[in-house]
Amino acid sequence: MNLIATLAQRNTFRNYRRTFLTVLLIACGLAALIFTDSFVKGMVKTMSNISTQTYLGHAQIHKIGYRASNDVDEYLTDFPRIVELLSLQESVVHFSARTMSGAMLSSSANISSVLLIGVNGESEANVGELDNAMVEGSYLTGNNSELLIGYDLADLLEVSLGDRIVVTVSAAHGGDLSQELFRVSGLFKFNDRTMDNNMAFINLDKSKKLLNIKGVHEVALTLRDLSSADDSSLPLWRALKSETREILNWRELVPQLNSVLEVSDFSTLIVSIIMFSLVALGLINSMFMSIFERHQEFGVLLALGTRPTQIFNQIMTEGMLIGLISAAMGFVLGLGLSVWISVVGIDYGHLEMSGLTINEPIYPVIDISAFVLLSVSIFTITTLSCIYPAIHAARLSPSNAMRKVA
Amino acid sequence: MKSVISTQHLCRYFGKKETLVKALDDVSINIEPGEFTAIIGPSGSGKSTLLQLIGGLDTPTQGQVLLDESNIGSMTGSELSDFRRDHIGFIFQAYNLIPVLSAEENIEYIMLLQGVPMAERNQRVKEILQEVGLGGLEKRRPSQLSGGQQQRVAVARAMVSRPSLILADEPTANLDSHTGAALLDMMKELNENEKMTFVFSTHDPKIMERAKRIITLEDGKVVSDERR
Repeated sequence: MNLIATLAQRNTFRNYRRTFLTVLLIACGLAALIFTDSFVKGMVKTMSNISTQTYLGHAQIHKIGYRASNDVDEYLTDFPRIVELLSLQESVVHFSARTMSGAMLSSSANISSVLLIGVNGESEANVGELDNAMVEGSYLTGNNSELLIGYDLADLLEVSLGDRIVVTVSAAHGGDLSQELFRVSGLFKFNDRTMDNNMAFINLDKSKKLLNIKGVHEVALTLRDLSSADDSSLPLWRALKSETREILNWRELVPQLNSVLEVSDFSTLIVSIIMFSLVALGLINSMFMSIFERHQEFGVLLALGTRPTQIFNQIMTEGMLIGLISAAMGFVLGLGLSVWISVVGIDYGHLEMSGLTINEPIYPVIDISAFVLLSVSIFTITTLSCIYPAIHAARLSPSNAMRKVA
Repeated sequence: MKSVISTQHLCRYFGKKETLVKALDDVSINIEPGEFTAIIGPSGSGKSTLLQLIGGLDTPTQGQVLLDESNIGSMTGSELSDFRRDHIGFIFQAYNLIPVLSAEENIEYIMLLQGVPMAERNQRVKEILQEVGLGGLEKRRPSQLSGGQQQRVAVARAMVSRPSLILADEPTANLDSHTGAALLDMMKELNENEKMTFVFSTHDPKIMERAKRIITLEDGKVVSDERR
């Protein structure tokens, strides 16, 4: 080991307590950053999954104008052509057609307005979680009188399985009221207040008749994976888009959620900047304390013929050593914490955020390359933080330093 | 004979206006190779300041210092460091060893800076440790050595690179009389055998007894310069 490295290494471990506390401060900061990064990625993944898997799908097709007006008349009339086009897309795994309209549900005890959705039970099960959300009764089998309502809505309407409910809708092409009697065939629970209180499902063919339409309002798609939805180069987007038809990915469909996720990424950056600043200031403070204590020694080293650049290099080496140990310790701590939480998860207990209920635990995402990048960043920050103290030490006058004058 | 040290109208002032202190005021001296010189005077007379200026550890307010005919005032920081490393050995009152280095590493330090090969370094360290009577203590850190032993290491460190000049600032002040006398005998012997130039700042009568030349300072001025 060369002279500078020997002196740096011995001086670093000269005051064990201070070095340990400095390393601990930096390592804990890094561990917190690593955990924040993995947790935010886990939260984004969970929220994206909840949002897309529960009901939304990875993308949706609508008639242009439908999303703005929610008018039952604005439906896709060329559904067979859409099916034909979708079957040609390798990126599309499943799709489900839906009708949608506002409806009034009347039981013998109460009434409630809901979003009435007509679906094909089989294809809907491939796109959403409706089949898995059933808590009582049975899923859609194709029977015309089947009606699925939320567990909470059943409470409000004071109905149970088999009870009759009159559904009133405003039909297309003129807005005539259309009424039909249904029987509650199943109760679902998504653990999402909006869905459990305000949604009802019937069979697609029945809903078309009820609304007097010959098409569908929405086609929800699932792609090979969620990230495909962000791939603008997929032929899908061009193939399904037309003058009357739009296809949007989930980020475009729920922009408020997308904003939250983008803010999450930004917040990680802010936390990183704050943490990096604290680490830098903590280390600068610690290095200055160490240098002030050793002023006399630096004076002696200079008197013996040590060049100022060698003093500079010595302090930089000390900082790099602290940075290296801190980065390694922080990496291990952060990785350990993230792995542990990724196994047990953090349950937010149905917290609602941006209209989305986080109804499943958040599991941090272990992204080793991101962890390594953060560790390297901390090492770089600690090294750069030492430049100022190192310049101070290198510029000491030997006579002043030996008199312990700052 | 050429002077190893020449100071010309050397002044060093501290403070400004009302608080101005003239630590050295127009000091011009010449010291020739192989001299064993003591600079004496009461506290605050400017002894240590003169030594620091001669050693290039401080910058004069006026005047210049020539060491081996080189004007140290015209050197850059790195040139001055290299000059000190290659031409001057320092011995301080408080020993000033590097606490994280062992006795042999402290002695070896300057040779490492000079880039002396390892085999030669080891040989010279071994020899000088024997010479200063510290054989067997080479692995000890300064905190594990007595004051006298530490000062011997400091002397060995100052001499090992065979500088042309050794500046010693009250080297016996922190030692008991017996240890101080033994150390002085050792330095005197080195002066005579190796022809090294020694300049001391001191209050110690034992150094004054052994010195070939005594320069007396008072209030920053040379008041006497006596050769024996």
